[in-house]
Formats: sequence, C-alpha cells, structure tokens
Amino acid sequence: MNRYEKAAAAAVALMVLAAGAIFLFAPTDALQGPVQRIFYLHVSSAIAAYGCFAVVLLGGAIYLRSENLAADRLARAGAVVGLVFTTVCLVMGMLWAKPIWGAFWTWDARLTSTLVLWIIYAGYLLVRRLAEPGRQAARFAAVVGIFGFVDVPVVHFSVTWWRTVHPGPVIVNDALPPEMLATFLFTMACTLALATVMIAIRYRLETLAAGPVPEAAKVVAAVGSPDAEPVR
Amino acid sequence: MSSTITIALAVARKDLRAEWRTRELVPALAQFVVLALVIANFGFQIDARNAPTIAPGVLWMALVFAGLVAFGRTFAAEREQASLEAMLMTPASPVAIFAGKALGATLLLVGCEAVLLPALTLFFGTPLSFPIIATVLLATIGMAALGCLFAAMVARVRARELLLPLLTLPLWIPFIVAGGQAVQVAMGASGTYDQALALLIDFDILFVVLTSLAARFVLDE
Repeated sequence: MNRYEKAAAAAVALMVLAAGAIFLFAPTDALQGPVQRIFYLHVSSAIAAYGCFAVVLLGGAIYLRSENLAADRLARAGAVVGLVFTTVCLVMGMLWAKPIWGAFWTWDARLTSTLVLWIIYAGYLLVRRLAEPGRQAARFAAVVGIFGFVDVPVVHFSVTWWRTVHPGPVIVNDALPPEMLATFLFTMACTLALATVMIAIRYRLETLAAGPVPEAAKVVAAVGSPDAEPVR
Repeated sequence: MSSTITIALAVARKDLRAEWRTRELVPALAQFVVLALVIANFGFQIDARNAPTIAPGVLWMALVFAGLVAFGRTFAAEREQASLEAMLMTPASPVAIFAGKALGATLLLVGCEAVLLPALTLFFGTPLSFPIIATVLLATIGMAALGCLFAAMVARVRARELLLPLLTLPLWIPFIVAGGQAVQVAMGASGTYDQALALLIDFDILFVVLTSLAARFVLDE
C-alpha cells in the first residue's frame, strides 16, 4: 500500500467509527426520532464543502497572483471534492426534509442558496473542461472560483438574514445535549479528514495527469529510459 | 484615472455608434421582450386579478434572458472581427477597455428596458412607478458587470452560448432575489422596499469592485 491508499483506508475507517457513534452512541431525538441522526453527516458535509470551496478560493487567488501550477491543481481538486460534499449535504437534507417538513424541497433561502452553490461549482468544472487547457482554463476557473465563493457566506448566513424554515446554528448556540455535541464534533472531524484525504488524492491525480513527476524522472535517470537499448 | 475614464467612454461611444449604425441589437431585444410578454400571457392565463402577482416574475424572466443575449453580443462582434486583440495591444489598460464595453452593453440593455417596462404596464396593467424603474436600473448595473465579465471569458471558449448562462445566471440570482422583492413590493405585495433596495446596492458595490479586480485576468488571456 502506498501512502495514499493508507490514508484512504484510515479515512474510511474513521467514517465507519463516526457511523458507529451516530447510530450507537448518540441518543435518539425526542421529537423527530431516528431520522434526526441525519443531522450529524448533513451539517458535517456542509462544513466540509465550505472548506473545500475555501481551498478553491485560495488556490485560485494564489494562481492569479503567481501562476503557480500547484495552486491551480489544488483549486481544481477542492472544487471536485466540494461538489461531492455539497451533493451529500443536499441529498441528506432532502431525505431529512421529507418526513419532518413533509416535502423533499422547499424554496427556502438556505436550500436555494445551497443549490446555487452546487450550480456555481458545477459551472467551475465545466469552464475547466471547455476552456483551452493550460493557462486559459486555469485563469478563467480561478475567476469563477473567486466569484463563486461569494455564495458561501450567503448560504451560511441565509438562516439569519432571511426568515426560513431551516433551523439556525445549533452548535454555537449551545442547543445540543453533550452526547449529541460530542457525536457531532467527532463526525465533523472525521468528515474533514475524509475531505482532506480526498483532496490529496485528487491533487495527486491532477499532478500525474499534468505530466511526468519528478520521481519518475529520477527513476529514468537512474536506470535509463525504457526506449533505450537494453544493456548486455 | 482620468485617462481610464476617457478610454472607457471612448470604447462605450464606439460600441454605441456601431449599434446606432447597424440598429441590430436593441430592436431585436425589444422584439424579444415583447414576445416574452406574449408567451407569458398564454402560459399564465393573465387577468386583472392575478396580473400584479405574475408581472414581477415575467419582468425578471424577460430581463434576465434579454441581458444574456445583450452581454453575449458585447464581445461577439469583437471576436468576429478579431478586433479585441488589436484593442488590447494599445497602451490602454484592459480594465478601461472592459469598463467601456460594460458601459456600452449596459446602455443597450437600458434601451431594451425602456421598451420592456412600458410594455409590461400596457399588457399587464401594472403601475410604471419610480421605485420600479430605480430597482431595474440598480439591478442592471451589477448584472452588467458580471454579465460582461463572463461574456469576455466565454468569448474565447468552446460552446460559449452554453457556458454563458451557466456561469452568469447563478451569480445573478442575488440581484433577482433583491430586485424581485423590491418590484413585488412596488406592485403592491407586502414587504419592505427599502431593505431590498439597500441589499441591491450592496450587491452592486460588491460585484462592481470584484469585477474591476478580475477584468485584467480575463481580458489579458
């Protein structure tokens, strides 16, 4: 196993532990019943998505400033992983909304702004695909990533700015019993670890796709190119 | 700074003169928005009772799609003639050129709004008041900044007709949220007009500043 496979295995093991905490340790909600257990992964994946899009913003800003290709690859990895976590957040939210609100979807400020977030970063990936690969794609994507991040605070503060049915922040308001809080914090830490590993693997893939890596060049220098005459 | 404004005004004047000589875009857009109203009429079964609730939605729908066409055309002519490269080779700063293009496109869209708003009043019987005009004009500023930035971007990209709405519409949504609320209130719905208008001005400032910072990277490419 190389270190990426090890990290992936560790992240999956952490998520299994988190599932254990969610289903075995956390108490059942008195009002909503077992469906409330969606909360832990739903909120964690939203926070992981914010983090990923912050990586996109930072990577894009660094790329525009210094044309650093590594920063661009990091931004791209962040966008893919962030889109995955936004999808998880939306789907889990819909599954939770059906029994509690009575419908999969309401045109609530937070739901709508999260959907817009998803569309923006899907557009980000489309720009990468359609623009001329290289400097143009990287620059255009960086601009989209920076503009798109404007929606992240809108999603976050939508529950305070507008009247919504979506509940507001429960963590900072100290509204959770200690077992639920502990489960949530553990799940969030595991989800963030998973997101970090996913970004690292995606970054590695981007690096490999970008061309020969230094290690490979070193190997070629030591043993000679495979195309060269075999040594007799 | 003053040279930036001079260049921007010169570029805008050039675009407006080209439009005045050909008279292509504004008549086409005007016809488009009137058609949108006709289609809305059949889609919604409009009568005097439901017109004030439907009219704001129809207004923003028509405006958004007219805006996409207008901003998409801004850089299309330059691309067809390959004249953008020539303009960028001059010592003028890309930001000034971009500001001029955006200004020209904004004025063309305002020309289209000058048809849309009276037509809405005529067909839907809604009031044509100062608050409605102010809202639409304020939304136009921010929408034009974003629309022109992404139009400049997609002008050099494959499948540009596809990509422009995909990039622009999600970022226009804040303007439609705030502007939609303001127009609904101005047409008789309950709510606060001032708050929506203040939000609209905030978004205008935010996106005009962000766009002016980003324009260099998009045009330079």
